[in-house]
Amino acid sequence: MQQIETIILYCLKQLNGERTVFSIFHLLNGKKSSQTIQDAHLFDLKRFFGTFEQMTRETFETMIQWLEDQQKIYSIGQQRYRITKEGERQLEVQKVPEYINGWDFQPYTTLFWERLSLLIQVASNLVYQESTYIPIQKNKQIHDWVKAVLSGLNIPKREIGGAVLAELQACFDDCHGVNPSILVFRLSGYRQIGLTAEQAARKFNLNYYDYHAEFINALHFLIQKIDRNKRSLPILQELFRNIQPSRPLTSSAQRTWELWNQGSLIGQIAASRQLKLSTIEDHFVEFALHLPDFSIDSYVSPSLQKEILDASKEIETKQLKLIKNKVQTASYFQIRLVIAKYGVQ
Amino acid sequence: MELERLLEIKFGYTSFKPGQKQVISSVLSGNHTLAMLPTGTGKSLCYQLPGLVLEGHILIISPLLSLMQDQVEQFKRFGEKRVVALNSFLSAAEKKAVMDRLSNYKYIFISPEMLKVPFIMKRLQELTISLFVVDEAHCISQWGYDFRPDYSKLGELRGKLGNPLTLALTATATKKVRDDILNSLGLTNVTKVESSIDRPNISFQVEGIPDYHDKEKRVLELAAQLEKPGIIYFSSKKAADQMAELLIEKGVCRTSAYHGGMDQNSRILIQQQFIHNQLDVICATSAFGMGVNKENIRFVIHFHMPMQMESYLQEIGRAGRDGLPSVAILLFSPGDETLPIQLAESELPAEQQIDWLFNKLLLNSDAEASKLKPELRELGGFSEQQWRLVERFLEPMPQNKIELEKLHETIKAYIRERLTIKKNNIYRMKKWVESKYCRRQAVLEYFDEILVDKPEPCCDLCGLDLQDYHVRSRAVQLAENEETWQQYLANLLIHSELRE
Repeated sequence: MQQIETIILYCLKQLNGERTVFSIFHLLNGKKSSQTIQDAHLFDLKRFFGTFEQMTRETFETMIQWLEDQQKIYSIGQQRYRITKEGERQLEVQKVPEYINGWDFQPYTTLFWERLSLLIQVASNLVYQESTYIPIQKNKQIHDWVKAVLSGLNIPKREIGGAVLAELQACFDDCHGVNPSILVFRLSGYRQIGLTAEQAARKFNLNYYDYHAEFINALHFLIQKIDRNKRSLPILQELFRNIQPSRPLTSSAQRTWELWNQGSLIGQIAASRQLKLSTIEDHFVEFALHLPDFSIDSYVSPSLQKEILDASKEIETKQLKLIKNKVQTASYFQIRLVIAKYGVQ
Repeated sequence: MELERLLEIKFGYTSFKPGQKQVISSVLSGNHTLAMLPTGTGKSLCYQLPGLVLEGHILIISPLLSLMQDQVEQFKRFGEKRVVALNSFLSAAEKKAVMDRLSNYKYIFISPEMLKVPFIMKRLQELTISLFVVDEAHCISQWGYDFRPDYSKLGELRGKLGNPLTLALTATATKKVRDDILNSLGLTNVTKVESSIDRPNISFQVEGIPDYHDKEKRVLELAAQLEKPGIIYFSSKKAADQMAELLIEKGVCRTSAYHGGMDQNSRILIQQQFIHNQLDVICATSAFGMGVNKENIRFVIHFHMPMQMESYLQEIGRAGRDGLPSVAILLFSPGDETLPIQLAESELPAEQQIDWLFNKLLLNSDAEASKLKPELRELGGFSEQQWRLVERFLEPMPQNKIELEKLHETIKAYIRERLTIKKNNIYRMKKWVESKYCRRQAVLEYFDEILVDKPEPCCDLCGLDLQDYHVRSRAVQLAENEETWQQYLANLLIHSELRE
């Protein structure tokens, strides 16, 4: 356990003892709750959001226990931890994976990978003129995507393989911090079936979660590379076809957003949706986090905003209670709005 | 056109496998047909080829969604696009699209639940069904090991379609089950094509092993010694995982586990790796095997005793499809029969659970009682499979207490009967393990057949030397793949023979 350890240490350091350790678990799991989404922004941890969706709570607890046993972290009570000198040293030696960006890419990382792996399998079999093989992806939408892409290309079918190869080689030409093997040996083609994640982890002598971190890192590297070089990667850029990079509002917040745009006030929204006022307030905090054009001025006067920000900086905390003690006139809701809007900068 | 010519032109085969031609000829002469063909004989050809000759539509009833999906894919791979599967995998929009152009499909696969839907039945009644195919027909009989209550309604549904020409297909059915199939479908004047279930190139060996640990040691030995590829079957996912781990750790062979607890993508990859000889051994549960057409499997080992002879034959039947000598080995430790008994019991609700449920239902007011509430499932600790059975009996819900009490007794009687049948199957399987005479003969007797030609070698009781199945050349080393990613990718995407 190296990569995943480092990631957890990094998160703990960012949290600075202000949240329980399970907020990291929810973050890695990509839990779409207001609290988790706010924390991701507040503590600048967006890039890890949803990157370990399949991790169980038990596994996470084991890792925390292990880090504590190794004296890399220590408990400060109430399920909160800080990292030790030893933990700091590890963070200096081992950087967190460079390209991982869960917040921006996780919503379509799986789709991207499924498209890429089917594209390679189909291109490979075209090259070898094999038409009876079992597709490794069952999803009909991905099949339709491959068909659409291939029929739109102006190259002979048997040359598609070479063209895809050239594009992939160009992507990996300059890939500091990424090992292309991590991804390439997972690919299938003509009479050659790629490895499963578990098999690949074994091949590279990695713990499953460390392998997963490297794999996601490699995929996110590829996504960024293709996105920046669309003109020179005419085939690979099709992997983005019809993908809407979305900034997730929780579905409930989405509904509140619509009502607010129709002119309803917070109290009216709560009443008409039969939800607690505090829930609707959560939604507004989400707006402040995700929607850059959303102004909080009608809820917190600019002067109060400044007061809250100053207090936060002065006592170096994002803990609401401590700020509230300093700025008695502000409500919790107002403090949360301000920190959501400006907290990260 | 002559059948052989049609076979060659359309499918690229030069000859039929045993039984196929009799079945196809019988169907094409307009006879209802019951076909018992061993697994791996290409049963789908028995309706696919007649479809090229008969006018109208071929309706195929199939019990397993995954199997149906496989068959549709296979049809498409071999160029037949006029095929569709009607099952719960379809979204509402897809279903509508399919129903709107149903008459364009020559081959319609359908699950028995879907066939019961009045709207779908109505659309089917508008078509000419020239052949009504019941795949896995043993599911009709409550004496079958895989009884599916939905299947027992097929006779009635067939009637609604005007009793079309019918083909019932199965791989393993005792005589009692075969009679049940004909009765239930209401078929008289039937042509029966019953190949022997015997597979002469597969020999049997049963080994008594003191305990679990020794079994693991024995599997390590066997996997090292025997000619591969092979499959090792387990009754539990955990045991399959552990054994695969052990085989990899000890460097015995290239292996992987395969079971329903793994995600679909990994399962597809592992199955394909095995087919392409990238893996030597699969440590699997019974989830593995369907749709795996691999000719050269040399051994099938059972780490646990299966729940009945029929499943055992299906599973060992995956060996030796190429006709070459292969071996089926079953490992048995004292007390092994308790595992299948526990499995059988867990498939059905316990009597206490049923009593509890009916107690709840009787206490409910009439307004609440009109529908079975899903939260009762969790409260009563019913598994998904157990709850399906409850739902089937309680939908629609009886409208008064007397009927409800009657139903209570009916369910309990049903469960007792199913359990008795299952336990009896396990008992007969154990009897076979403890056979004192030729195992092949005992298998055939189970299916009311007589052993005419005893192959050599036959089984451990007739005399079997496992050495005959050992790896012949030790030359093949498990050299670690030293390919770089650049080479790997280039091999995938550039045809080396065409490279300059």
